[in-house]
Amino acid sequence: MSVKNIVYKNVVKKFAGKQEQVVALKGVSFEIKQGELFCLLGPSGCGKTTLLRITAGLEKLTSGKILYGDKDITSIPPFRRNIGMVFQSFALYPHLNVFENVAYGLRVRKQPEEIVKKKVTAIMELVGLPDVLRRNPSPTALSGGQQQRIAIARALVYDPEILLLDEPLASLDAKLRRHMRAEIRRIQKATNITTIYVTHDQEEAMAIGDRMAIMNNGLVEQIGISDQIYHQPENIFVANFIGKMNFFPAEIIEIQGNNYQIKLDYNKKIIDLYLQKEQIKTDDLKKNNKIILGARPENMIILQKDEESTFKGRVQVIQNLGKIVRYEVSLLQIEKGKLIEVDRERALPGVKEGDEVAINFKKEDLLLFSGNIDYKEGYKDDSDE
Amino acid sequence: MTVMNRLKSFIIDQVKKDYTAYLILLIPLLFLVIFLVWPLAISIGKAFVLKGQELALENFTLANFERFFTSSMYQRSLRNSFLISFAVVFFTLLIGVPMGYFVARVEMPFKKLILALGILPIITPAFVGAFSWVILLGRQGILRYAINKVLDIFGLSLPPIYGLFGIIFTMSLTYLPFVFLLSYGAFRSSNPLLEESAMIMGATHSRILRTITIPLILPSLGAAAILVFIRSIGNFGIPAVLGGNQYVLPTLIHFRVHGFWDLNGASAIAIISVSIVIIALAIQKKIVSAREYETISTATSEYKLHKHPLIKAIAIIYCILILLISLAPQITILIMSFFEKWTGYLPVGFTLDNYKIIPQIASKTIKNSFFLAVTASLLTALIGTLAAYITERRRPRGGILIDFTIMTPFVLPGIVVSVALLSAFSSEPINISGTFLIILIAFIVRRNPYVFRSVVATLTQLDEALEESSTISGASWFYTFRRITLPLILPGIISGTILTFATLLQELATTILLYSARTVTLPIQIYNTVAEGNFGIASSLSVLLMVTVFIMVYLMNIFFGDSSSSSFKLG
Repeated sequence: MSVKNIVYKNVVKKFAGKQEQVVALKGVSFEIKQGELFCLLGPSGCGKTTLLRITAGLEKLTSGKILYGDKDITSIPPFRRNIGMVFQSFALYPHLNVFENVAYGLRVRKQPEEIVKKKVTAIMELVGLPDVLRRNPSPTALSGGQQQRIAIARALVYDPEILLLDEPLASLDAKLRRHMRAEIRRIQKATNITTIYVTHDQEEAMAIGDRMAIMNNGLVEQIGISDQIYHQPENIFVANFIGKMNFFPAEIIEIQGNNYQIKLDYNKKIIDLYLQKEQIKTDDLKKNNKIILGARPENMIILQKDEESTFKGRVQVIQNLGKIVRYEVSLLQIEKGKLIEVDRERALPGVKEGDEVAINFKKEDLLLFSGNIDYKEGYKDDSDE
Repeated sequence: MTVMNRLKSFIIDQVKKDYTAYLILLIPLLFLVIFLVWPLAISIGKAFVLKGQELALENFTLANFERFFTSSMYQRSLRNSFLISFAVVFFTLLIGVPMGYFVARVEMPFKKLILALGILPIITPAFVGAFSWVILLGRQGILRYAINKVLDIFGLSLPPIYGLFGIIFTMSLTYLPFVFLLSYGAFRSSNPLLEESAMIMGATHSRILRTITIPLILPSLGAAAILVFIRSIGNFGIPAVLGGNQYVLPTLIHFRVHGFWDLNGASAIAIISVSIVIIALAIQKKIVSAREYETISTATSEYKLHKHPLIKAIAIIYCILILLISLAPQITILIMSFFEKWTGYLPVGFTLDNYKIIPQIASKTIKNSFFLAVTASLLTALIGTLAAYITERRRPRGGILIDFTIMTPFVLPGIVVSVALLSAFSSEPINISGTFLIILIAFIVRRNPYVFRSVVATLTQLDEALEESSTISGASWFYTFRRITLPLILPGIISGTILTFATLLQELATTILLYSARTVTLPIQIYNTVAEGNFGIASSLSVLLMVTVFIMVYLMNIFFGDSSSSSFKLG
């Protein structure tokens, strides 16, 4: 028996729009390993839900192939794929009670009554709702969290080989969401079923996924584990979509081994960097070439204004987020005042909104990207509304 | 070898796919093509040849249309139809919009009752309303008698209700509920925050009404106006009872078919009548789509109702007055049904004979009516549901065509459907004129939109993920349809079917050209009894019809709540 991985081979999906054709997927190729919890993450319209629906068979692909193990499942209709799916709206049947909702897939498979009973009871145990069956109400009478669990139970009860989750937590409130995502991970690990989890919430994907694919504009930007994606983003889209990053266009002045000297476009300051190979995300590393220096807010330092520094800025907003304090600072000596974000573990005493401050880089964990952005405009983030 | 293998796997792939849906799609499609598209095509063709001639290119003539230029009867009919339809639209808007506003925005008691009574005129057969106005305002009308007593002092007199005035008057009252209910709905559902924000910005009440409220409900008023227009121009019963020598297009069609069996001439008139409707629809669409507003409110806040005593008094008096006038026919018929004569102030000769005689004279027609209405409703339910499901869920290429075809009878006056069916199926090789079958087909074609729209509305509200999740659980299309879709759209099917049944029971315009001695229905019998001048029996039969329809609609309201009465907007 071969390992049953899901393999996407150059998957293209075009929708006939009203005026023009919409290309939802522009040739996606990657592999999901058997038994892993894989997240598809990206802003709305990036193609992640389309890819999930193609995996389910609910959409036909325009070209390309999907393999499951060594079997080509591209043209197999959804009801023969043996897949479980949890929808964003849960899609519980309002005219059936909880038991019949969960038993649905077993009834379709014409399982005998005693097996249906046994399996439904067992799966309700697994999702942590053994008591609901006693009253056996209509699912509409239950809370959002309970409905969620029933939707998961219904998708798992007939032992599908793949579980698909389409933004399953989007309709729950924030606290329940955090609780349920731990539950989903627990249930997935207990059943060890290959699972694809679609979300637009990067925190959720980081927390739940074994691995994830970051999608944008119909293409996969990067695939990896959470840690890799946060600390080693391949490009500025990923860097900015996962967490927050400040970008500074610059020019390379000098390269000597791991020592780099760059000149910032913004104030023509020259700074020295010591970079490891994995911190460099551009192939175009030559003297006089343009690059982009990326620094996460926690990799920048905010100081009193009179200290020696790379930038001068003015504090616009201070947000105390509990674990950290986030400073939104507009850089001075620039027309529009480029905004950057700087995190500190504790508030800086004596600094309030409107004050002038000094900003420096922490020398570790900086990244170099290729690309060309205007230092005045900054990087345009599509995912921000 | 590889070619054979590929072919084999291709065939297996095709077999594995689920084609049930496409096969079932054929049922409504075939029905519509055979019994709507084809008859309409024949009818249009016949309009361009003379009566008795072959449907062939060398016989092409415009003679059937020339009558609109040569015959004064044709010209007057056309003019009357125009005049009546526009007048009815004007008066229903003039009277109905204030009533809708008052009930929606003014604090007053018995709102539910007003709404319930307000709908009564639509579920009363229009021609019944017409003949009860004959009792009240006809040559020997009691109300006219009383009014003339007063007017006599000034040397004036009120003419009897026959003619254009009577038609416009009765039709306006009949179709008033459309405008009332639609504008009531619009006034209630538009977002109160819009008006409140205008008020905060300093706009006066009259300015808000002019710049916010009225523009927001314009689409609803447009819909109401076109509905009233289509119904007025297609109404046969009212001008047939009250018209006298004033013909309109539907009565002219009836005259051509009944008097001369001239289907060719009738088709030509039908084409003119339908063209007017289409032009009106196009104009309405142009006006309304230029101002497409979202009137459905997501805000939970409610309108503050007017509480000023003066406004309240005006609103209450206005509503009661309009209700009294528009319910006068129902009350009159009810009283009349228990008396022999009613020519003076009071009816004379209390009797139950009008009812006792029903089993003897009407048992056959009642049976006919129920048989036709029940059978047609059930078949309509089947065809309408399938068609709705397929256009809404499968979205086949050309789905818009199905949608269009099904909704066509909605703009076709009932009598036009009959003309089309007679054109196609009243001569060899297929002659089914005078049978139950042709009435049945006409009923189904004409009322398909009810179930169709009702089911489409239910389906659009139904989360498609429910069906998708069933498919993914391993269910075939048919299993999903049976276990998930059907149970969930059943309320939509049932309310559409009851509505169909209730309207078919009182259908006159379609049956008037299609019935034979064997297939007389209750509305036809009432119509003929009125023509004979036997108002007592006509009244008792009408009461029977009205009570049956009322019970159906009432039951529907109980089971499916408020929203179902709004299905009457469908027309």
